[in-house]
Amino acid sequence: MTFLHPVALLGLAAAVIPALLHLLERRVPPEAEFPPLRYLSEAERQSARRLRLRHVLLLLLRTGLIVLIVLAAARPLVPAPAAAPLRGAAGHQRTALVVILDNSVSSGAVADGRAVLDRLRDAARGSLAAAAASDRVWLVLADGVARAGTREALLATVDSAAVSPRRLDLTAAVRDAARLVNAEPLEGREVHVMSDLQRTALGPGQAAVARGVRVLALAPGSEVPANRGVGAARVSDGAVAVSIVGTPGARPAAVTLRVRGREVGRGLAAPGSTLSMALPPGVGPGWWVGEAALDADELRADDRRVFAWRVAPPGQVTASSGAGPFVAAALAVLEQGRRVRRGSDVVIGDRLDGGAAVSVVIPPADPTLIGQLNRALAARGAHWRLGSGGTPGPVATSAVEGIDGIQVTRRYRVEPTGDGGRETGQGSTVLATVNGEPWLARDAGVLLVGSRLDTAWTALPAAPAFVPFVDALVNRLARGEAPVSELEGEPGVQFRTHGADTVGAIVSGPDPRESDLTPAPAALVRDVLGAEVLDARALGAARFAGGGKTDASGPLLVLALLLAAVELGVATFTR
Amino acid sequence: MADTARIDLLDPAEVARLGGIEIVAAGVVEGFLSGIHRSPFRGFSVEFTEHRAYQPGDELRYLDWRILARADRLFVKQFEEETNLRAMILVDTSRSMAWRGAPARLTKRAYADRLVAALALVLLRQRDATGLITFDEAVREVVPPRVRAGQWARLVRGLERTPDGGGTAAEAALGRLTSLLARRGLVVLVSDLLFDRDLALTALRYLRHRGHHVIVLHVMDPAEAELAAAPEVRFRDPESAASVVVRPRELARAYRDTVRREIAAWRTTCRRHGILYHHVLTDLPFGMALRLLT
Repeated sequence: MTFLHPVALLGLAAAVIPALLHLLERRVPPEAEFPPLRYLSEAERQSARRLRLRHVLLLLLRTGLIVLIVLAAARPLVPAPAAAPLRGAAGHQRTALVVILDNSVSSGAVADGRAVLDRLRDAARGSLAAAAASDRVWLVLADGVARAGTREALLATVDSAAVSPRRLDLTAAVRDAARLVNAEPLEGREVHVMSDLQRTALGPGQAAVARGVRVLALAPGSEVPANRGVGAARVSDGAVAVSIVGTPGARPAAVTLRVRGREVGRGLAAPGSTLSMALPPGVGPGWWVGEAALDADELRADDRRVFAWRVAPPGQVTASSGAGPFVAAALAVLEQGRRVRRGSDVVIGDRLDGGAAVSVVIPPADPTLIGQLNRALAARGAHWRLGSGGTPGPVATSAVEGIDGIQVTRRYRVEPTGDGGRETGQGSTVLATVNGEPWLARDAGVLLVGSRLDTAWTALPAAPAFVPFVDALVNRLARGEAPVSELEGEPGVQFRTHGADTVGAIVSGPDPRESDLTPAPAALVRDVLGAEVLDARALGAARFAGGGKTDASGPLLVLALLLAAVELGVATFTR
Repeated sequence: MADTARIDLLDPAEVARLGGIEIVAAGVVEGFLSGIHRSPFRGFSVEFTEHRAYQPGDELRYLDWRILARADRLFVKQFEEETNLRAMILVDTSRSMAWRGAPARLTKRAYADRLVAALALVLLRQRDATGLITFDEAVREVVPPRVRAGQWARLVRGLERTPDGGGTAAEAALGRLTSLLARRGLVVLVSDLLFDRDLALTALRYLRHRGHHVIVLHVMDPAEAELAAAPEVRFRDPESAASVVVRPRELARAYRDTVRREIAAWRTTCRRHGILYHHVLTDLPFGMALRLLT
């Protein structure tokens, strides 16, 4: 049994009033002389049983009367006889209904010879068309917004709904919809989910649908196409990593890489794998846009993904003698590969070079020079300094590939200056840590490393990733990266500008989870969404049935009246 | 005009405001006796008046043998008394008699005093020797039966001298009575009968067995006949201090039935033993109460 106004149940506390009155009334009665007390005692002795029965009966009747009135005020909904549910003008009880039409990316797939969205749209149209004027109706699309409106207006919205580039979290949508209908004081409360019920569309947790709210979900179609899509395409160090997503077990798909419309590479990859494709060498400095595309399949929206990257000119780098032999050797390799040139834009050493635009500072070998270095850093306006010696540990970073986990045996703590630990300003970034403490930090034209780049301090110089690390250090990290962020939406790219300069790019594409069209099992849907999974015909029969519930407040009030009449009779005729 | 003189038919409380016991009783008797010229009290004399059913203790010489022979039923003949009657009036002065259910009414004791004074005056005017015993838990005042001048005044003083007492024990007073009434006579017990019925009836039966005419006048306040009070009251017995908490509205019907049963029991038992029983409420005009006794 559920209640339309459960707050009214607080009134049940009033049920103790008759008992309290009974107790309070008996406190201190007035006294009076009465000579024929023997007659009174005799009458009481003869009536004791009757009076006790009368008191108990009246107490029960009065308590029951209050309970019935409070229950009626709470408007309970009880299962109604099939033949006589409380029905509105359209033949069903007044209902608050939310129709969720999942027109997310995956609804654009073609299954059983027709677009999935068409099938979902038909079902949504059926639910809305069956609604009556006395019902309250909302429509939720992939954007998650609940649209209230008349049945006709919402039908028009359904007809005009196209495949959205957005993903819909079904768990959150059903949770919100259930709350919405549960707040309505109507007899019926239903949520109809018209979705392909992707397993990946079920968000974390459960929808926690309140009792009394029916959730009906359209069962997915019989055919589930094996889809493949481009989940991500990211450029890093001269190559683009293309992640292929989709239905697990789908056969590999041909990946075509295009830069500025020209095909620059092809590959083959299956869902779940990442294909690394080299970008054409010798591309000039500037912003470049490319795309990774798959051959067409049943879901076209995820077959293409755009990517953007910036090609910076080779850095002009100088290594001071304090940088050590490993750095000098790495720079020589990079110079041979034309990744760097001799120059003074970036200076690597154990002291600050006032003439360099960017300094990569490593700790001096002589500990007595640490103080001098810290003073120079402070004079440069850097917000970081070298502190006391830190404990050994592995490097942890996501900013530079290949060095994550490399052991550091000696290090100085890289500490923020001033009000330690607080945000030290825009552009101040921790790029790598050891044991949770900063090890590589960037700020105000200075890259501060916590260890010397020497095998006595860290295993990094002996690792294959050392040269790429130095490359990234001088070409990317020291000179600042042009950020490329990602956004959910239609595949495309937008550039952010500042004045005449392009300072970043936003690439957009569908959520990669949309590519896996595997439907969730009905048991999982029931568990997570609390929904009955029904095919189109069964859904049509089950909608607005409301579980056959009816408002029991009327019969309760009648019962209360009967009880009041009985109470009056007992109180009057049993004296 | 005649009605205005009949104060015996007015409300007892109104009549009591006219003066003391003597004045009120005299006024009541004047009204009551107007038009009555013969003694209403039946004795054993030569002038036959009526038959009544035989009661154990009746003398066999008054048995009507002809009715016995014809109908096989026992009846005794009653005769109008022409000679002096010896009458003793027993008045209950216990604490319970000093109660009234409403301020506008007389207490049972006040009502009984005035009624007894009037009854005594009637008897004395007929030259019947009349005496008085007041009692509560013991005998308090005794005025032996006489017919001489000033007897009525002595009786009235006897009533006035007796204060409101404590408990009630009628059997002691009835026992004392047997020594005062050597000859057969009339015994009138005026009481609210709030004592042990069996003990009192034993004593009354004994008097009846000795050949006395016995009349029991059960005085009751109207508020004792019908229970009505606040929703819940602790009622206390003025004599025993016992108390009980009741809801009068709940108990009214049962109480009324109990009182009716009690009155019926007294009436039945008295009739069975040849004792006249009268139930009198304190709002009954004195004249009507006197008529009950005649």
